[in-house]
Amino acid sequence: MANTLVDVQATFLSVDSQYSVLLAACKTPDQRTSLGSQYAAARQNYQNTLNASLEDDDAEVAALSAQLKAVNTAVVRATVQMGDIAKVIDDVTTAVTLGAQLVAKAAAV
Amino acid sequence: MSRGLIKCAPVRGKLRAAAGVLLCCLVLMPGCKTSQDAASAATQMSATAKALSDYYAALGVILADTDQLYRVNEQLFLKPYPAQSQQLLKTTQEELARRVTLAADLSTLAGGFAKLSASTAPADVAAAAAKLQTEADTLASFKASAGEQNALKSALQLLVTAIQEHKEREAARAMAAVAGSLSSLFVKEAPTWSSVDQVYDQLASDAASDLVDQNAVDNSGLLKVALDPFGLTPSAPSTDLNAKLAPLAKQQIATRKAALDNSCAAATAAMTRSLQEMSERIQLVADDKPMSFRLPPVTVAAVEQWATQILSY
Repeated sequence: MANTLVDVQATFLSVDSQYSVLLAACKTPDQRTSLGSQYAAARQNYQNTLNASLEDDDAEVAALSAQLKAVNTAVVRATVQMGDIAKVIDDVTTAVTLGAQLVAKAAAV
Repeated sequence: MSRGLIKCAPVRGKLRAAAGVLLCCLVLMPGCKTSQDAASAATQMSATAKALSDYYAALGVILADTDQLYRVNEQLFLKPYPAQSQQLLKTTQEELARRVTLAADLSTLAGGFAKLSASTAPADVAAAAAKLQTEADTLASFKASAGEQNALKSALQLLVTAIQEHKEREAARAMAAVAGSLSSLFVKEAPTWSSVDQVYDQLASDAASDLVDQNAVDNSGLLKVALDPFGLTPSAPSTDLNAKLAPLAKQQIATRKAALDNSCAAATAAMTRSLQEMSERIQLVADDKPMSFRLPPVTVAAVEQWATQILSY
C-alpha cells in the first residue's frame, strides 16, 4: 500500500506541476476537457489510495480508543483507592476520638 | 512498679511487633524505585500525548488548506475539483478526526497515570497514622515513645508506598500493550500522513510558481534585505522589476518548500521516537525493571516547532 501511495502521489503531482503548460498546449476544447478529466482522475486515484490505507486501520483505531478508555478507568479507580487508604485511617481516628469522648463522659457520670 | 507501667508493657510490645511485621512485609516486597520510574514514564507519556495532539491538529490545518488550495486552483488555473474529490478529502478529514480522538484518549490516560504516580497517599497516611496514634494514646492512657511512634508511622508510610507501587505496576501492565500498539500504528501510518503534507507543499509551491509566472505576485519583498537596514520600504514594483525578481522568488519558493518538507519529516521522526520511548518506559515499570538512569522526556520540540509553524499560517 505504501509503495502504491508513493506511485499515485508522484503521478498526481507530476500532472499538477505540468498542468499549466499542458493546458496552454491544448488546441481544442476537447483536449482541454480530456486534460481536466485526467487531472481529476489522477487526484482521485491518489485520494482513494490514501483513504484506503487509513480505512484499513479503522478497526485498530477503534479498539485502541476503547482500550485507552478502559485502562484510564482502572487507573482512576486505583488513584481513588490510594486516597481511600488515608481516608480509612482518618475515619478510624474520628471513631477513636468519639470513643475517647464517650469514655470521658461515662467516667464523669 | 506503677499500675500504668504494668498496662503499658504489653501494649508497647504489640506496637513494636506491629511495626516489625510491617517492615518485614516491606523487605519482602519487590521494587523500591517503581514510583520514580512511574513518574518518569508519566512525564514521557504526557509530553507524547501533547505532541500527538499537536501533530494531528497541524495535519487538520493542512487538510483544510489543501481543500482551499484545490478551490483556488480550480478558479485560477482551471484544475477541476469535482464533488467526488471534495467528498474524498472529507473522508480523509474524518479518518484524521478518529486519530484526534485517540490522541485525546491518550492525554486523558496520561493525566490519570500522572495523578496515580503523584499520589500523596503515603504522606497522607503517615499524617493520619500520627493523628491516630495521638488519639490511641489518650484512650490507652499511655504515651508511646517518639521512636515507637516514628517506627509505626514510617512502616505505614512504606506499606502504602508499596501498595502505590503495586498499583503503578498493575496500571503499567495494562497500559503496556496499548502503548506498544499506538506506537506501531503511528509508525505504520507515518508515510500516509507525510504524504498529506508533501502533497500540500507541492501543490502550494506549484500554485505559487504559476502566480509568479503570471506576474500576480509582488516580488518587492525580496528587496527588504537591501532596504530594511536603512529604514526604507520598497514602492510597488514596476512590471519590469517584478519580472527581474521572478527567478529569485521561484528560488525562495523551492527553498522554503524543501524546509517545509524537512520540518514535517523531523516532526514525524520525533513523534515516532517519543511514542517508542513512552512505550519502553511503561514496559520497564510493568516488568518492574528499574530504569538504570532517568532521562528527561525525549524531546518533541520538532513536533511543537512544526505544529506551531502550520497553525500560525
